Amino acid sequence: MIASSVALLFTAPDLMVTEMTDASMGVIELCVELCAVYAVWLGVLEILDKTGLSAKLAKLLRPLIKFLFKTDDPETTKLIAVNMSSNMLGLGNAATPCGIKAMKRLDDKSGKINAAMIMLLVVNATSIQLLPTTTIGLRSQAGSMTPTDIIIPTLLATTLTAAFGIGLAKLCEKIFWRKKGAKK
Amino acid sequence: MPVLIIALLIYARIKKVETYNTFVNGAKGAFELVLGIFPYIVTIMIMVALMRVSGITDILVRGFAPILNLLGIPTEVSELVLLRPFTGSGSYGILKSIFETYGADSYVSRCASVIMGTSETLFYVATVYFSQTSVKKLYYAIPLALVCNLFGTVVACLVCRIL
Repeated sequence: MIASSVALLFTAPDLMVTEMTDASMGVIELCVELCAVYAVWLGVLEILDKTGLSAKLAKLLRPLIKFLFKTDDPETTKLIAVNMSSNMLGLGNAATPCGIKAMKRLDDKSGKINAAMIMLLVVNATSIQLLPTTTIGLRSQAGSMTPTDIIIPTLLATTLTAAFGIGLAKLCEKIFWRKKGAKK
Repeated sequence: MPVLIIALLIYARIKKVETYNTFVNGAKGAFELVLGIFPYIVTIMIMVALMRVSGITDILVRGFAPILNLLGIPTEVSELVLLRPFTGSGSYGILKSIFETYGADSYVSRCASVIMGTSETLFYVATVYFSQTSVKKLYYAIPLALVCNLFGTVVACLVCRIL
């Protein structure tokens, strides 16, 4: 941030404050939009929760979540399960509220990050995508003959990436956390 | 998607869940949630905007493009790859312009499409996800996720070349 500000001082100092206000104006718009989108999804998710479907989903994914995050707390598992499955369906906006809540529950309030939190971030960053809806929409808009033919490559690439990410995160976990354990 | 939501609503009826009240209850949390993440998004977005206007982003893109080329990533796509962690809407804009320039069915466009799937607006996601926690330092979380995204990009290009 400092570097960009300094660079701006030389190129266009008058732009800086305008640009900063513009950016935060954009965020207000984004937030209003997010508020609307989250309201819809949180409503749907609450119903999902009340019907017991998310608990079922959690049960299904529990072994995986237990392996990845080393947590057995039913509420956290449920949140992560919904987060992961919405991500797979390309519903980033449904995934985010669950992700935030799950992250909060994984936090041990020590002010320090833990391995499970990093794993959650990595899982979200590399999520497997079954249906890249937005991209398909853009492709057909741009006049693609076969807008859906990226589904399989995307699936393949994201699966590989997810596997790589999880593997790497586990590896880092081993390296870094053993060191920390030793220090204690 | 609409089908799924309707299915859920019908299922809820069968299970005798009060859909209206439940939905209201869930939706209540939205405002609070957004309020909570607002200051964090503002800060990160201002930073991104400053980087863009000051031309630092351009310098980064130009600097990294040859390196990405070595990994099999076309130059046209490297801008997308480098901007993707910072801005979601921005990267969709670039994707659109790639489609327009190269045609939506070209190798470059397919490559870019798959990359959109394998990567994530990481800084935004990290900011938002960690905003409600006590964590102050992220240690290796960001570099790790960035490496994963880079790996995803390389894989995406490979997959597109094969399929």
